[in-house]
Amino acid sequence: MKSDRIFGLIIVVVALAYIASATQIQTSFLADPVGPKTFPFLVGLVLAVCGLVVALRPDEEQVRVRSIGKLALAMVVLLGYAYTLRPLGFLIPTAVASGIVSYQISPRVTPALLTGVGLSVGLFLLFKFVLGLGLFALPRALLS
Amino acid sequence: METLALLAQGFAVALTPKILMLAVAGCIIGTVVGALPGLGPTNGVAILIPLSFSFGLNATEALILMTSVYYGAMYGGRISSILLNIPGDEPALMTTLDGYPMAKAGRASDALVLSGVASFVGALLATIGLIILAPVLARIAFLFGPAEYFALYLLAFATLGGMASNNQAKAAIAACLGLGIAMIGLDNSTGLPRFTYGNLHLMDGIDFLVAIVGLFAVTEVFVFIESHGRDSAIGVKLEKLRIPVRDIMRSAMTMLRSSVVGFIAGVLPGAGASLGSFLAYVTEKGIVRDNSQFGSGDPRGVAAPEAGNNAAAGGALVPMLTLGVPGSGTTAVLLALLVTLNITPGPLLFQERPEVVWGLIAALLIANFVLLILNVPMVKLFVLLLSVPPRVLLPGVTMIAFVGIFSLSGSSFDLVLMIAFGVLGFFLRKLDVPTVPIILGILLGGEMEDSLRRAMVISSGDWRFLFSSGISTGLWIAAVVGFIAPMFVRNLLKKPQAITD
Amino acid sequence: MIPGILRKVALGAVVTAALASTAHASECIAPANPGGGWDFTCRTIGKIMHDIGAVDDPIQVTNMAGAGGGVAYAHVVNERGSDEDLIIAASSATATRLAQNAYGGATYDQVRFLGAIGADPGVIVVGKDSPFQSLTELMDAVKSDPQSVSFAGGSAVGGFDHLKVLMALRRSGFEDIRAVKYIGLDGGADAITQTIGGFTQAMTGDISEVIGFLKAGDIRVLASFTDERIPGFEDIPTAKEQGVDVVAVNWRGLYVPKDISEDAYRRWSDALAQVGDSPEWAAAMEANGLAPFNRVGDDFQSYVSDVILEVEALSREIGVIQ
Repeated sequence: MKSDRIFGLIIVVVALAYIASATQIQTSFLADPVGPKTFPFLVGLVLAVCGLVVALRPDEEQVRVRSIGKLALAMVVLLGYAYTLRPLGFLIPTAVASGIVSYQISPRVTPALLTGVGLSVGLFLLFKFVLGLGLFALPRALLS
Repeated sequence: METLALLAQGFAVALTPKILMLAVAGCIIGTVVGALPGLGPTNGVAILIPLSFSFGLNATEALILMTSVYYGAMYGGRISSILLNIPGDEPALMTTLDGYPMAKAGRASDALVLSGVASFVGALLATIGLIILAPVLARIAFLFGPAEYFALYLLAFATLGGMASNNQAKAAIAACLGLGIAMIGLDNSTGLPRFTYGNLHLMDGIDFLVAIVGLFAVTEVFVFIESHGRDSAIGVKLEKLRIPVRDIMRSAMTMLRSSVVGFIAGVLPGAGASLGSFLAYVTEKGIVRDNSQFGSGDPRGVAAPEAGNNAAAGGALVPMLTLGVPGSGTTAVLLALLVTLNITPGPLLFQERPEVVWGLIAALLIANFVLLILNVPMVKLFVLLLSVPPRVLLPGVTMIAFVGIFSLSGSSFDLVLMIAFGVLGFFLRKLDVPTVPIILGILLGGEMEDSLRRAMVISSGDWRFLFSSGISTGLWIAAVVGFIAPMFVRNLLKKPQAITD
Repeated sequence: MIPGILRKVALGAVVTAALASTAHASECIAPANPGGGWDFTCRTIGKIMHDIGAVDDPIQVTNMAGAGGGVAYAHVVNERGSDEDLIIAASSATATRLAQNAYGGATYDQVRFLGAIGADPGVIVVGKDSPFQSLTELMDAVKSDPQSVSFAGGSAVGGFDHLKVLMALRRSGFEDIRAVKYIGLDGGADAITQTIGGFTQAMTGDISEVIGFLKAGDIRVLASFTDERIPGFEDIPTAKEQGVDVVAVNWRGLYVPKDISEDAYRRWSDALAQVGDSPEWAAAMEANGLAPFNRVGDDFQSYVSDVILEVEALSREIGVIQ
């Protein structure tokens, strides 16, 4: 099956879910002739139609995703970064996350380590002292 | 003549060593902030406001520093658009369409120089427009009610189909996804939440910066890892710098036209630089005779959005200074700065504080020349920032993006959302679905819906109100023509579709 | 194994970072991006507090945007409930959103309101060519035909600008407030532009938003929603004088976490009161079009709860909460 067919069908499903969800929108009692649902309905409808068009007239090219494991790892690393940036401060999560991403791009240990530490420190100095963002360097627990 | 005397007076204010230094510093900071994905002009200006207080700058000085940063960011955004296919900020979005293909075809420095010149032309014409027309143009805002705004946004979306994509349906899907995302959050016209599922973070809607950074920067990381660098945008080589005289001559008219379009879009409050560059691009694509290369590296496709967005940046200063109405996110922050500096923008600003207004205008002209020098002969310096090896550059860009977004809300929610956009962008890119329309949908969708609903409230549900003025009728006609024309033109020409990657 | 040079770099960074953050400063959270009213509150009040010696260390401002202040509110309630070194900027909008349950179930008694020391008075404005000469005439026009008048304001539907109009209509004896036409725009200046352009008949907002247009003669201010006439604008009649008993101001103030000690609460309210009495604050108020509005401590807490009750009742009636 062509990947565009699957994509088109997914879009149709998403559009229908969107419309279903739009029916749940609360309406106020105020003077508002268009209302909060009309636009979402229209958007959902057009989306569904376009999804069908793509499913029925797919492009020829077959899409293949390679190295799924590496992609999953990258995603996990970024997610981990998102959740640790706040509790653990800037330096450590940044060094770890950028080190791993760097290693995934070019699998050599020393440059990856250098990149991690260098980026973490360099960016911290840039953000904190040049741009004046209110970042915490280290876990808050250590500071207070 | 009186204008010239006032301008001279303005230069007298602006041409002091301290102010010149501030202008140069502002231009450099602005260009860097603009070039870094995730940090747009709005952040740049917002972050620097407290700094200007701690330096103890007076009103004029602070304003000049900030506007230099503002103009600088408008220039800088194009650098990463062209070299990395990641827009440095949202108005630079359209520049990716032709700028990056040009870079990939080995003409990166041509694209940079050309866009630098286009930015200069746009900004210069806009500043001149601001000088001559500001008091008159301020009145245009009074002519635009909800019906006119709706028609304007409609025009933008109607012409979306003419944009770079091989598959109309896929472009429409992308636009609808953006529009659908724009509906999330508190509904402006009822005050009730939509599609928030009780999540507090969704109440304000999804910030387009989160979407931009996710769809471009994070996606790039995934694409690079998946393909071991083969399909990635990173790693464009920069050849020797030279002035692409032919391209510049060829796009001279493009720059002029786009500056006018961009300036008008900027003058309209709420439309802003993104709409300016977008309209400039589609207008140009519609007007030029041979547009087959648009979307695959036409130099005019680089010049148009850059002239457009810089002209819009200048145009947006018109309503800000004369009405106190910000025409874009950045001018909203500048407005706040003015207010804290005890300057009340409004109809009387030009009479009450001429030294501020004309000092500012003089500073804009100076900043513009500084930026031309920074961005044409010295553009290599900024390019160096982006030409480090991918294993450093990609994590670096990602971390900058994360911190940029994190500094907005201080929550990990936006970061997770950004990663989700990255995953979405990865699959869309694999499926050859353009991501630019998503951003446009998010940017303009909410305003478009609000305009329609405001119009209907005012007219008590009478649809004829939408066509009740000359302006709105004209915009409707343009929208219909813009929607239908590409279909006919395509059938008539039967030209082979441009092959893009 | 980490090469020696790296270890030195890392160590250096840790030392630098530690030095940078040893100063134990109090924090003021501005629940919005830089540049808005809350940001102003934090930066100005925080700076004056330190300048006049009401607190020992400079106050660090943190921006925490999201959900119109809801993200910061949830953060304070859930994570910083007993942090004595924390103040948070608030305004009428905070109270309105709490009343409308826009903070995801959070209620106003989950924090302690500290006080307000300035306010932006609410006003009703028409274009200079408008037929309406007084608030009474405008109210009468709505009463006889609600379809004939549209109001524009800088807040969303159900926001404070909208509610002000409804309160005024209610007090003038108009009950069908659901029929009132209101469009919410992005900010007061936008709303005023629409009114001058003739797309809407009247604009509801704050005095600071209309000063420039007023001086230029583009608009007429029909009434201010204050107890007394606004200092500096003595020729604008109050709504009360015209028989419409509404006081609606956009106050600028602070709240603190709920579980701080009585001592800490008093320390902060004293510091705030000192700022309120300082000439620096008087200058800042004048620069920003604010009028005096001094309510600190328990007085303020009860004022806020009154406002919240009224807003809640109104909102329920127009259906923005259910």
